[in-house]
Amino acid sequence: MSKKVQVKICFGTHCYVMGGSHLEMLEESLPAELKDYVEVSGSPCFGHCEEKTAGTPPFVEVNGTIIEKANIELIINYIREVLADGIRE
Amino acid sequence: MNQSPFFIEIDTFSRMKEGEPICGDCFVTKKVKTEQRMVIVLSDGLGSGVKANVLGSMTASMAANFIVQHEPVQRTATAIMKTLPVDSERQMSYATFTIIDIRHDGETHIVEYGNPRCEIIGIDGVRTPERKKVYVDEFADESRVMFTFSFKAKKEDRIVFYSDGVTQAGMGSLNYPFGWEEGGVRTYLMNHLKDTPQISARDLVRKVVSHAVAKDYFAPKDDISCGVVYFRKPRKMLICTGPPYHNEDDARMADLLNRFDGKKVICGGTTARIVSRELNRDVKVGMVSEGGLPPSSKIEGFDLVTEGILTLGRVTKLLDELNSTTINGDGPAVEMIRQFFESDEIKFLVGTKINEAHQDPNLPVELEIRRNVVKKIVRLLEEKFFKEVTIQYI
Repeated sequence: MSKKVQVKICFGTHCYVMGGSHLEMLEESLPAELKDYVEVSGSPCFGHCEEKTAGTPPFVEVNGTIIEKANIELIINYIREVLADGIRE
Repeated sequence: MNQSPFFIEIDTFSRMKEGEPICGDCFVTKKVKTEQRMVIVLSDGLGSGVKANVLGSMTASMAANFIVQHEPVQRTATAIMKTLPVDSERQMSYATFTIIDIRHDGETHIVEYGNPRCEIIGIDGVRTPERKKVYVDEFADESRVMFTFSFKAKKEDRIVFYSDGVTQAGMGSLNYPFGWEEGGVRTYLMNHLKDTPQISARDLVRKVVSHAVAKDYFAPKDDISCGVVYFRKPRKMLICTGPPYHNEDDARMADLLNRFDGKKVICGGTTARIVSRELNRDVKVGMVSEGGLPPSSKIEGFDLVTEGILTLGRVTKLLDELNSTTINGDGPAVEMIRQFFESDEIKFLVGTKINEAHQDPNLPVELEIRRNVVKKIVRLLEEKFFKEVTIQYI
């Protein structure tokens, strides 16, 4: 795996008050084995909160895929899936 | 203050006597918007601590209110002396004051009673208008005399006024047996202004006070206060918050921001996104939130980019709590307040589009309507911090 998994956390108002404020802890909460394969960054509002179909905030984008109602556990599980897929390929 | 040839920046700063819980020097500043006047009063209450503070606040607020109502100085002074309680040790009622009454065109009247003389410093050096003696009442002797004088302020003039804590700083020490004295303060001011001619009132008062405190070996023997009025070229700031009502106006908003000459602040995630799209500049978001607010971001050419309504709410709360222009701490809200304090004319460009995402009943009630929050901030900046503020809705 040469390319890192890109995790973008929305720091827009809506996501922030709906639980996104905890997600800034993500980088510290990453299990040791994942740390080298993940890059976490912040983002201004994605605009997903205005699209009715996207779901409920807080939103996080992992390699461009939207995760709704994101929490740290959910994100880590998803990163694991992405990495596992990558290895299979 | 419209059509004024300059902005009048006023700031004051005090350090209290070592060991006292409260300062005995009091400043009261009043802005009379209808007459385009400012009245500033410094009063040094007799003694120090709580008693001095009560006397000083009474004197300062009475003097300010009387002068705002155009009462003659003599009546003002008599009324104050009659009202103040008689000191139990010294058997007299007494508090000093300096009253500065400024019209927007620079016409200034000053009354001094008991405080050190104020300095009027222009580009061409110290100005010494002729002072007129006014007796406090018909029974007054030479010790109860006020000095009044008037002058017309020009751009880049400064009025520096201070309590006797400044002139007496260091008294008894080897280098300053009689204290710093008026001459010493004047020399210091002249030297300092030669080095930094553009220094703001906010910085200058702090410099003078901390210098005096140092002369007292960092344990002030009296309350030390200084105030500065600076007739300056206004420093401008534009703060943009909220997306425009019509999408077509996005470009206009970005253009207004881009062409503005002065400090530029964006407050709002969606607003930042619009500006970034219209100007084709990237938004870089920090990862660490400070003080429980979403982190601030960076867009090239802008002094500050923050989240919207939560930050504005916090700014309102902080401005409401502040009693001076000293603010400690970090975080986007504090940073925004610092930007306000470093500006004289502040323009709010407020987008009026309703954020549909915020109409979610699950959200906490702190998410107020942007326009109301902005109005609160504007009121605080105008009435408490004497800024010139305008709002434009887009």
